[in-house]
Amino acid sequence: MRVNSNNNELIKKWFKEEVAEGENGIVIYPNLQTFRQIYTQYVKDQLANAGNDEEDDDNNSTRNEQLKPRIILIATFYETINSVKHNLNAVGVDVQRHIDNGSLLIVDAFNCYYPDINGMKKLVASISNRAARQGRVGVSAIVNTGFFFLFGGDGEAIELINYEASLPPKTEGGNIIGFSCYHVRNYNTLKDSQKEELVQGQKKVLEVTEIAA
Amino acid sequence: MAKLLVVDDDSDIVQVLKLGLLKNRFLVNAFTNPEEALQSFKSNAESYCLVLSDIRMPALSGIQIARKVKEINPGVKTVLMTSFEIRDNEFSKVFPSTQVDGFVQKPVGIDDLTNKILSIIGETKRRVV
Repeated sequence: MRVNSNNNELIKKWFKEEVAEGENGIVIYPNLQTFRQIYTQYVKDQLANAGNDEEDDDNNSTRNEQLKPRIILIATFYETINSVKHNLNAVGVDVQRHIDNGSLLIVDAFNCYYPDINGMKKLVASISNRAARQGRVGVSAIVNTGFFFLFGGDGEAIELINYEASLPPKTEGGNIIGFSCYHVRNYNTLKDSQKEELVQGQKKVLEVTEIAA
Repeated sequence: MAKLLVVDDDSDIVQVLKLGLLKNRFLVNAFTNPEEALQSFKSNAESYCLVLSDIRMPALSGIQIARKVKEINPGVKTVLMTSFEIRDNEFSKVFPSTQVDGFVQKPVGIDDLTNKILSIIGETKRRVV
């Protein structure tokens, strides 16, 4: 689906309704500013109801019967972790509280892919296990794929495609919602055939476009 | 006279670096678009003595720029900048195929950057008469 970057409602709807629990989607963003708007809005929406109930596990049985808020992972690449925290704070997300209570995790994607390319998958799997143990709704992983374009060359594209192919479009019973996020200028360095391979298995794709001047 | 090519996709950083380095008597061509920067280098490869580039940029990273400018002009010096923590293992993947002459952790003061550049290109190259 192609959406103009000013169409916030449609973007929110895609994130909320198109990619379900256990699914992996692809987001192509036109610039860093738009990507900031996308992830800050998503985190704000997801954590809006994450109140103090996460902090008092033994408070009462009614509360314990309810699922706790999901865990949000942001794997940043073109912004530092502090920049991401700053951006989230700026939209009213109490970043430190959510980090402290385990609902929010912000990491440098580089360190999750290098030197072990499967490091990100291992991290997400461990968060998924924690979410299940803690009775949480699930995990949302917003992962910037910039790492795969850092060193250049066709070998990297193959590595990316193989990696993306290893993320199934849907895992039955899975509790992870994954978003692989591409800067459009990285995405456009791929050949058409490589772009097709990326979305194999009919992954859902959101392409956010810049508003024409 | 030392001519530098400066590349960073953050326009504020580019502006600050350009003004600071100009003030410290370098000739500076600065770009926020790495592809345009590379085009500029290709058309005047011999005129640049050093390329100063951010590492993490979409479409063309600083590592790729360093590799490409060295292919065009092996004599040019390259310095990479990053706001992220610099660890040796981060760049081991590209060595020795890419020769990078120095790394700079952002934020960096102009005087520290100037000293770093001079230590790489040699003091005598800079002087503007």
